[in-house]
Amino acid sequence: MRLQRAEILSRERFGNHLLLRYRWNGCIPQPGQFVMVRTRSFAAALDPFLCRPFFVHDYDGESAALLVEIRGRGTSLLAGEEEEVVVSEPLGRGFDIGNGPVALVGGGVWVSPLKLLSRRLAGRGIPHELYLEIPSTAPEAYGDVISRIFPDADLVPTDDPERAPEKLLARVGDLSRYSAVCASGPLSTLAAVKRAACEQVCVQLAVRERMACANGSCHGCAVPVWDGGGRTYARACISGPVFLAEVLAW
Amino acid sequence: MPAAGTLGREAFGEVKGVYGAILPKTVTPKPRAGNPPPRLAEAPAGIINSIGLQNPGIERFLEDLDDYDIGLPIIVSVAGDTVAEFAELCARLAGESRVAAVELNLSCPNTERGGTTFCARAETISEVVAACRTALPDKPLFAKLANEGALNNALASEEAGADALTLINTISALAVDPHTRRIFLKGGLSGPAIKPVALRAVYEVSRVVSVPVIGCGGVTSGTDAVAFMLAGASAVQVGSGGFVREPGEILEEFAVYLRDNELKAQNLTSALRSRDESQEAMLY
Ligand SMILES: Cc1cc2nc3c(=O)[nH]c(=O)nc-3n(C[C@H](O)[C@H](O)[C@H](O)COP(=O)(O)OP(=O)(O)OC[C@H]3O[C@@H](n4cnc5c(N)ncnc54)[C@H](O)[C@@H]3O)c2cc1C
Ligand SMILES: Cc1cc2nc3c(=O)[nH]c(=O)nc-3n(C[C@H](O)[C@H](O)[C@H](O)COP(=O)(O)O)c2cc1C
Ligand code: FES
Repeated sequence: MRLQRAEILSRERFGNHLLLRYRWNGCIPQPGQFVMVRTRSFAAALDPFLCRPFFVHDYDGESAALLVEIRGRGTSLLAGEEEEVVVSEPLGRGFDIGNGPVALVGGGVWVSPLKLLSRRLAGRGIPHELYLEIPSTAPEAYGDVISRIFPDADLVPTDDPERAPEKLLARVGDLSRYSAVCASGPLSTLAAVKRAACEQVCVQLAVRERMACANGSCHGCAVPVWDGGGRTYARACISGPVFLAEVLAW
Repeated sequence: MPAAGTLGREAFGEVKGVYGAILPKTVTPKPRAGNPPPRLAEAPAGIINSIGLQNPGIERFLEDLDDYDIGLPIIVSVAGDTVAEFAELCARLAGESRVAAVELNLSCPNTERGGTTFCARAETISEVVAACRTALPDKPLFAKLANEGALNNALASEEAGADALTLINTISALAVDPHTRRIFLKGGLSGPAIKPVALRAVYEVSRVVSVPVIGCGGVTSGTDAVAFMLAGASAVQVGSGGFVREPGEILEEFAVYLRDNELKAQNLTSALRSRDESQEAMLY
């Protein structure tokens, strides 16, 4: 795996979320692409062993940002004090941007790639609307950061996790108003968006699976897909992480 | 060279000018979809994987073989469920001029023996290697062995006609999730965690066989490759190490070691000092 050193420009911590910005003058990231990343010390020691995948959250021409939920050792190290990360180029296939209008639907930390997507859509003058789920169980800091990052989003409060996707989709309304729906959220949300998909609308879902190589070598990131009528596994790192809803064999 | 199953065509750009051979993922007679996710779990200093030999099957693989040609010899790794399937795969590859050598992945289950692996019995290893030798008379045949029973299986492979031995494959491992109180993954452990085990296997086996031994297991640096060659390997495979480092960096470190120590790669295999000599060197 090809990785390069990058200076960390800032870390903002909101509860158990981290907004990490690093200097980036490599390939321009496309919305929905991800990077493999680790801090320098863990790169030198290979401990933890694998790099961690994250969606590119934002990019301004000079720096890239990641929105990270701190979970285990790898993400805790990213939240630490080190001044550099070791990071890959933007990887995988992102969202396909048509002419709009586009609905951006998400929840949890998975809303991350929707920021770069909405920035790109705005830059091209493509009309779009954002619908983000805010569970009542989420820490207050999470709600604050999401409303700061996505000032134009329609934030949908949800109480019951089981009914959350339904409530979110009720707010989005008739999907056929859009030419595309781009979703990145909890699996239940993605599954609900997939079920609601209709023929005229290009529905794209950002999926995640555990990754090791992130270059198609290990077949570790298998996602079930339909291929020529049969069910098979695609590699999320090179054929995704964004898939057309109808391709996913969920 | 890459270890089987750890370098895809999509990543060939990273290894041009680095590896001496290409070794694609193990091919089986029929296509295999592989196991449902999750297929990976990180472990201390390594990974547990359960990919399930996802591959397009031998016929489709051969149709696409030109895609593997980057000007390096192509070594094809094969696996069957039975001795006869292994032999059929070798026969199919025997006449294929683009194939330089065949590696038998003998750590897979033998359906004729209730799913125990071929490596579970030296007699089975003899049988399968001999059948493949007959089916593949004119190309080098490598037997890739598991750590379990490595010594007996190595002797059996050599006697049955293997030209080289690859040691080792992943080691059986389990990941348990204490939060969900479920088994997260049953698979094979690879990476630095298994390096000392692999080194020991290479060391013991290379002392009793006369065919070359290819070391595999936990190589993530140039000095790891050196250690395998000092232990008795004539060549080294890089698997999981390629997921976390660039193979080119590993090769560069290997070259720096040779330069600094005024050694040649081909001399490393016999360059291991005796314990007394090295202890003396430490004193002065
Ligand atoms: C394409 C993709 C994009 C992602 N984008 C984001 C993002 O923008 N923000 C964010 O916070 N998280 C994202 N994740 C999840 C993130 O990679 C994991 O939360 C992170 O790897 C956890 O590492 P850890 O060491 O803290 O946790 P640990 O639990 O210690 O990690 C152990 C191993 O499991 C893997 N792992 C654990 N949880 C996940 C998970 N949910 N998905 C995939 N692998 C996991 C780790 O990579 C590591 O190999 C993304 C995952 C993928 C595959
Ligand atoms: C993701 C993955 C897939 C593998 N697939 C195969 C395979 O198809 N055939 C095989 O003989 N070994 C396979 N292996 C085992 C490796 O070739 C190698 O023997 C093992 O990983 C130890 O080396 P390492 O520690 O350098 O990874 C695989 C290993 C990994 C991690
Ligand atoms: S992470 Fe290795 S194939 Fe996708």
